[in-house]
Amino acid sequence: MSRAAPNPEVLSRLYLEAVLPCLADLSAQDPIARAIMGETRGSIALRILGGPQAVVSFDRGRIACSAAGPRPSVTLLFYTRSHLNAFFAGAKWALPLPIWGGWQIGLLNRFAKLAARLEAVLNGHEEVLSTAEGRRLYARLSLIAAGLGLAPLAAGDAEAISTLRMLPPGLAAFRIEGEPNSTVWFDLGADRRTSGWSNPPRRPDVNIVFGSLSLAYGAMRDEVDTMAAIGAGEMTIDGLIPLADGLNVVMERLRVYLQPEEML
Amino acid sequence: MNTRDNPDPAENRFKRSQELFARAAQVIPWGIYGHASPVASLPGAFPYYAEHAKGCLYWDVDGNEYIDYLCGYGPMVLGHQHPEVEEAAARQQRDALCLNHPGPVMVELAEKLVSLIEFSAWAVFGKNGSDMTAWAVQVAREHTKRRKILKVAEAYHGIAPAWTPGHGGLIEEDRVHIHDFIWNDLESFESCLKQHRGDVAAVIMTPFHHPAFKASQMPAPGFWPHIEAACRKEGIVLILDDIRAGFRLDLHGSHKVFGFEPDLICFCKAIANGHALSATLGRKELRVAASKVFLTGSFWNSAPAMAASLACLRVMEREDTVGAVRRSGESLMNGLVALGHEHGYEMMATGPPALPFPVFVQDPDLRRQQRFCGEVTRRGALFHPHHNWFLSAAHKPEHIEATLAMADEALALMKNEGI
Repeated sequence: MSRAAPNPEVLSRLYLEAVLPCLADLSAQDPIARAIMGETRGSIALRILGGPQAVVSFDRGRIACSAAGPRPSVTLLFYTRSHLNAFFAGAKWALPLPIWGGWQIGLLNRFAKLAARLEAVLNGHEEVLSTAEGRRLYARLSLIAAGLGLAPLAAGDAEAISTLRMLPPGLAAFRIEGEPNSTVWFDLGADRRTSGWSNPPRRPDVNIVFGSLSLAYGAMRDEVDTMAAIGAGEMTIDGLIPLADGLNVVMERLRVYLQPEEML
Repeated sequence: MNTRDNPDPAENRFKRSQELFARAAQVIPWGIYGHASPVASLPGAFPYYAEHAKGCLYWDVDGNEYIDYLCGYGPMVLGHQHPEVEEAAARQQRDALCLNHPGPVMVELAEKLVSLIEFSAWAVFGKNGSDMTAWAVQVAREHTKRRKILKVAEAYHGIAPAWTPGHGGLIEEDRVHIHDFIWNDLESFESCLKQHRGDVAAVIMTPFHHPAFKASQMPAPGFWPHIEAACRKEGIVLILDDIRAGFRLDLHGSHKVFGFEPDLICFCKAIANGHALSATLGRKELRVAASKVFLTGSFWNSAPAMAASLACLRVMEREDTVGAVRRSGESLMNGLVALGHEHGYEMMATGPPALPFPVFVQDPDLRRQQRFCGEVTRRGALFHPHHNWFLSAAHKPEHIEATLAMADEALALMKNEGI
């Protein structure tokens, strides 16, 4: 149970490094998202003045998200981290300044609709969770966001840093059985706090595997007893158990940051 | 069915355990909670439920037989169902199980314990280790009129919010006055002490360090004397949490092994060979503070466990249980390390022989340890991969020999598989 206040810097990094990258999986998994994109090509950079940025690239139905890239079609500037956080939280006053490509109304409109779709999935809107496919999307994207969110939390959230300090170094990989490309990982070392959504860079020191989509869905919604699930063999943790245990605590911090009303 | 005759990993040897767990998961959080949870051991390779035990032998609900190296996670120092202890408890229970008042046996047991623990002048009783550590801290605070408690990082002192290893249901205020230092690191201890000087009520420590999932650590030379001297100088109450090790290392308290004297000492586990009882003993100077800190519990005056404790202590004194347990532990650890060497593994025996925890030196992800313990358990000796083990007086040379044969097989298998 954590009540320590969120750090705005961490929150902005979570939006850029954990939430926005979920658009890639959304585009790969969700026909609705693909329909929104159509044959769009182009890229949008979301940049904080003097700070980090994320570049979302569209290429005929596929989306990629990175921290850098060739000159984007559109650049949206946020004056501060709080400005970006307010925008993602839905504040009407917090529109970014389009410093390049503001005339690309079509691209911006599609991006806005995709963002709304991502919000609906990650926040578990009723119309999404009412179908099996929607619940599958929710479970996948929530796990990916949680895994990718570990690095920003490790970099700046005081509680997360304190927890991580007590953990053994190692690489933890999380995935859902039967769901291709659902693996997210976090590498903790003396000078490493890296997350990724891909094949892990080396053999994980601990694998956390949700044995079914329904279990992952319940776990992401905090609706299942994961300890009982492990005992029943529905979820497996092999290897460096203390690392998995501690990362679970760090992931709990995401709830403090990404409450539904603060999402996209 | 004897597990040792049937180590086929393909066969489901835990059918009934798993059926029970499936039912438990419907009505009990975690299914099995706490240190006995499958999460802490090896799901699928370890039994979940047990049916009976005798001496150092142990049978799970599927009829698999094991040599028990957990001993109920400590209490069974004489072995399961020790006749003299059980007879004493049964005799007491025939008179009454739970009276309104304490029985004479409570006085007798307090006298016995005070005579065994040389620095002590008084004793109180509870049912669990957590009862005693939480109460001892209150006594220290009452005595010193100070707030801060220093403890070793990753040390286990029970389930109180101040130090539970769990994560749920805690608030920042729970640990505002609890401060950690590093085991065997006097600089860390001095720094912690300096930071809170004048407000430290107690230092609470186990006699050796036994963090879960890690090798145990014995105290470095000079570590305990330094802690003791600092506590004396600063008027800090030194609490020895001897709940896990008590009566296995020395019948007069584990501090005797390491050459220091605490002010309060907490016992549980081996005090009554499996009957629910815990105790705190303290110096004369803390008697008044102890009298001011309220202490009670629904079953805390129940006499059978106290009768069992008296019998247990009597047997341990008569039969030099401490020596026997140490020798068995030494045989097991020496044998395992030698076998490891034969098979090309560097194994290290950590902790005292009576509560050993062997580990593989090159095993950063714990998988070697997990596989080894799983394979030996499959063959019929309960080896926990992440928690220290316990020896009992019921472990005889033939049990150690049989166990080493299982370990030999397990290591050979691992070597073949390149683990």
